[in-house]
Amino acid sequence: MSADPQAPGAIAPPEPTGWEPELEELRFRREQSAALGGPEPIKRHHDQGRLTIRERIEGLVDPGSFQEVGRLTGKGDYDGGKLTGVVPAPYVMGLSTIGGRPVAIGGEDFTIRGGTSWSGDRKKGGQGGFVEDLAHEYRIPLVNLIDGAGGSVTSITRRGHSVFPGVHGFEQSVRLMGEVPVVCAVMGTAAGGPAGRAILAHWSVMVKGTSQVFAAGPPVVERSLGQKIHKEDLGGAALAADLAGTIDQVAKDEQECFELIRRYLSYMPQNVWELPPVVRTGDPVDRCEDALKDIVPRNRRRPYDMRKVVRWIADRDSVFELQPSFGKAVITSLARMNGRVVGIIANNPMVYGGAIDVKGARKQTHFVELCDCFHIPIVFLVDVPGFMVGRDAEAAATLREGMRSVYVSLQATVPMYTVVIRKCYGMAGMGATDKNGLDLKIAWPSAEWGSLPIEGGVAAAFRKEIAAAPDPRAREAEIEASLRADASPFKTAEAFGVEEIIDPRETRPYLCRFIDAAQGRLATTVGRKPKYGVRP
Amino acid sequence: MAMIDVASVVTGSVWKIEASVGQKLEPGDVIMILESMKMEIPVIAEDGGVLRELRVTEGVPVAEGQIVAVVEE
Repeated sequence: MSADPQAPGAIAPPEPTGWEPELEELRFRREQSAALGGPEPIKRHHDQGRLTIRERIEGLVDPGSFQEVGRLTGKGDYDGGKLTGVVPAPYVMGLSTIGGRPVAIGGEDFTIRGGTSWSGDRKKGGQGGFVEDLAHEYRIPLVNLIDGAGGSVTSITRRGHSVFPGVHGFEQSVRLMGEVPVVCAVMGTAAGGPAGRAILAHWSVMVKGTSQVFAAGPPVVERSLGQKIHKEDLGGAALAADLAGTIDQVAKDEQECFELIRRYLSYMPQNVWELPPVVRTGDPVDRCEDALKDIVPRNRRRPYDMRKVVRWIADRDSVFELQPSFGKAVITSLARMNGRVVGIIANNPMVYGGAIDVKGARKQTHFVELCDCFHIPIVFLVDVPGFMVGRDAEAAATLREGMRSVYVSLQATVPMYTVVIRKCYGMAGMGATDKNGLDLKIAWPSAEWGSLPIEGGVAAAFRKEIAAAPDPRAREAEIEASLRADASPFKTAEAFGVEEIIDPRETRPYLCRFIDAAQGRLATTVGRKPKYGVRP
Repeated sequence: MAMIDVASVVTGSVWKIEASVGQKLEPGDVIMILESMKMEIPVIAEDGGVLRELRVTEGVPVAEGQIVAVVEE
């Protein structure tokens, strides 16, 4: 039995006069937290060309702006009641700023048990974690730096039972998609839950060579299907971003990944109750780019570089293309016009003559929803002969995905501006108009439109007449020429079926005036966008 | 020197071959022109180099992603 220090005659230890012992313990605990998984795991992590979670956060946010929350979480080691060390929880998160605006940011610490989930009284990250609550309650963007293995079957042993998938939290992840910008960066190998979380984002990015994303990794694939496959072939950037479009963007290294995240967020409002920030670029509104005049070749079979059109119309150096390596028939970019954020959807004549294939349609659907959600006006630069045709296109359900894209455009309520550069045909063309709003359609003199391109329609509509002619080919060409004369865009403008034909060089000033004028109306429609109906 | 595979971005057919094997190509030079959706789609040597291999001939069909030429940078 130990002596009672309160007993009469006992020598009492010196009483602390302040809180130094506790502050010393706090300092020690913080030190333990800062040390992550320790020097060896950190070295292994660095040797693979990867930064630790703390280095990632520091590299991404405004210098000195990170206010961590939950620094003391983890598992303490005690010797006879005295703290000897702490294994930190493998998740680091808190409040920070990017571009001077607050964000909620967090990510797994791979140096501790590969960033597997941790069971405290309250979740720090992941679905329904504190970091998501922070984004929701304060209406600030959420940045997830994903580098964790997610759940493990070993948790059954630890808990004594198996956990029902999801339990609580996913509903918060879903709610956030209608409230604040959510950005996910896949910084390592993400499978299962973390992979799913990477997709539950408005925009996602991965790092070439060091990140992979899949529903399940190579061991599960081999066990399930007998396929032996390397993780890079299963979920590296070439597959996940370029081929499948599962992830939106690819960075060449972690530094570039941080730059891309900062750039993306610079176009976004803090939440759906605000309009995106206006950043004046000094580019004159009335700048008329001379090269636009002749960029469209007179030869209708010749494509041209639509990205140049986008760059020349938007504020200088303001174009940020999303999903550049996926669904290349459609080019989707965030940009600024007179400093105001716009979403530009442009058909790409270099790929299938701009015909919308299943991937392009999917990309367009997401982009329209993104712009609608965050009150970003949409500019369509139209050169679309229709949906992609052929057996492969039909087998891929291009028509369904294409109509889904048309449906989403026709439900969106942000102002849209249609600029017909060359072809505007069929349902795909209709999807590029503002049927819920002003329906302002301007066109270049090179524009042509209809329910289907003349060259495709003549052979079918005049089949008998062509067949009966002495020279069927010549007759077909003759009919085509006569129809083409009547299909002049000027004739539609006479009938006010298109609101204006402009000199291509006037595109920027014309659009800027309308985008400026729409700001008051945009301010009246902020907030969550209601969802109704069933997408086809 | 790196060998760069040049792939077709579209499904279509080879309409005209514009460059010959051994030819020096400047960045942006056209190697061949494909026809797809009634459009002439140029296949370009993005970074230039020397054309080492042509894997297709005029008139043959090509698939999206198919390697049609090899350029040595």
